Amino acid sequence: MSDKIILLVEDNEDDEELAVLAFERSRIANAMIVVRDGQEALDYFFGTEANGGSDAKALPQLVLLDLKLPKVGGLEVLKRLRADPKTRRLPVVILTSSKEEEDMLNSYDFGANSYVRKPVEFDRFAEAIQQLQMYWLVLNEAPTSGGDRS
Amino acid sequence: MRGFAHSIVETIRHPFLILDGGLCVCEANAAFYLTFQADEAETVSHLVYELGGGQWDIPRLRELLEEVDRNGGSFKDVEVRHDFPHVGIKVMVLDAHRVVHDDGTPMILLAIEDVTDKMQGIDALYKLNRELDDRVGERTAQLEAANRELEAFAYSVSHDLRAPLRALDGFSDELLRSYADKLDDRGQHYLRRLRSGTQRMGQLIDDMLLLSRLNRGEMKRELVDLTALAEGVVAELRGREPDRTVAFVIESGLSAVGDAALLGVALENLLGNAWKFTSKKLSATITVGRQTHEGAPAFFVRDDGAGFDMDHISKLFGAFERLHTQREFPGNGVGLAIVQRVVHRHGGLVWAEGVLGHGATFHFTLPQEELI
Repeated sequence: MSDKIILLVEDNEDDEELAVLAFERSRIANAMIVVRDGQEALDYFFGTEANGGSDAKALPQLVLLDLKLPKVGGLEVLKRLRADPKTRRLPVVILTSSKEEEDMLNSYDFGANSYVRKPVEFDRFAEAIQQLQMYWLVLNEAPTSGGDRS
Repeated sequence: MRGFAHSIVETIRHPFLILDGGLCVCEANAAFYLTFQADEAETVSHLVYELGGGQWDIPRLRELLEEVDRNGGSFKDVEVRHDFPHVGIKVMVLDAHRVVHDDGTPMILLAIEDVTDKMQGIDALYKLNRELDDRVGERTAQLEAANRELEAFAYSVSHDLRAPLRALDGFSDELLRSYADKLDDRGQHYLRRLRSGTQRMGQLIDDMLLLSRLNRGEMKRELVDLTALAEGVVAELRGREPDRTVAFVIESGLSAVGDAALLGVALENLLGNAWKFTSKKLSATITVGRQTHEGAPAFFVRDDGAGFDMDHISKLFGAFERLHTQREFPGNGVGLAIVQRVVHRHGGLVWAEGVLGHGATFHFTLPQEELI
């Protein structure tokens, strides 16, 4: 249906597979790209072609970002995204199992658009994913270009 | 008369000195000689300040005696501390009177109470108190550290256990949905059992976490409207299962002093239980009210449901102990343990009565006044 890409930053293989499963159930086809740690995420946006960077490739429509990531943590990735004009306006949804209030507050402080706790029960998890998809990819209007108004 | 006065002085237990107008010792009693380890020869007729080879040359004493000498009168309860070279530190309480003898000669009566031992006792007590304070402080710090460790452990256990649970739940769900045709009835049955197991495990983890959290944390102390809390819980229960016919009788104006959040959890569990154990009846009645128990107000939650056998009362409040099978009534057995913890933390008591097949009543007391 669309060329809208979702970038999923998730280190847990099971959660990755479950998220993909949930998206498949929703029947709204979106291309999903998965990166498995904070460094890979940064390389995707800021790296060169050689190490996974996207250069002029289209930015994702939505980033689903886990907080507990190896190498570079989710909050650090978020900070870097918000610091760069190219990615400053990108819709970022924190998708985490953390129940720590501090994590939520920090996420919002550093510019996350939304904070969702992964439910334990799969059907609620699937429903959450689908709701995210419906909202951020269909209802919500995302900026098409980067941070500079050219 | 002299002999009589002499006898009096000798009988006095405290060291006693009689000084003449020039502050020389006329007489000293046995208690004086004993306490200051002196004898008559080195005491009588000597200037008071020269006693014990100058030991009594105490500035404070000079001040006091000269004052009395000049202006007459007396002093009482004056504490003097001095380090006597041969006797050691002595703390003394002095009384002195200037009197005029029958023949007109002035005299100063000096009564000395040796309170050294008492003072040392008091000092030792202060020291002991400080040591105890320090020790209590240390223990408290240790306990707090242990509590924090325990909480971090409980949190990480529940948090880290949840992730694989999600996988179990999700993949078994997908199996049931998309691969049901590849499984026979028995296979599907096993899958369903698997799923229900993971769901129970998730609930258990949440309960464990809640139970561990109930032990720590500061409790608020404010006036809580128990009636309103109960009504809130009832609304939620009805919302979950609107088809059930249950009459709730909640006494108005129920209140207590405590932590609203914790009390809310307790009521959720008590009312939730009442709701659950009346689920097999076509219609049920659940009552929340207050009675007087041993002169103090006691709240109760009563239902007319499955009840329980009083023989098993000792298991009732145990964590993870159950009196019914999962098939009869689902649950983990922590609800009442949670209620008990909450009530106990408030300084109250909780107890129960039941009749198998007829219903159960759970009573609990809570503080009524705010502790200032």
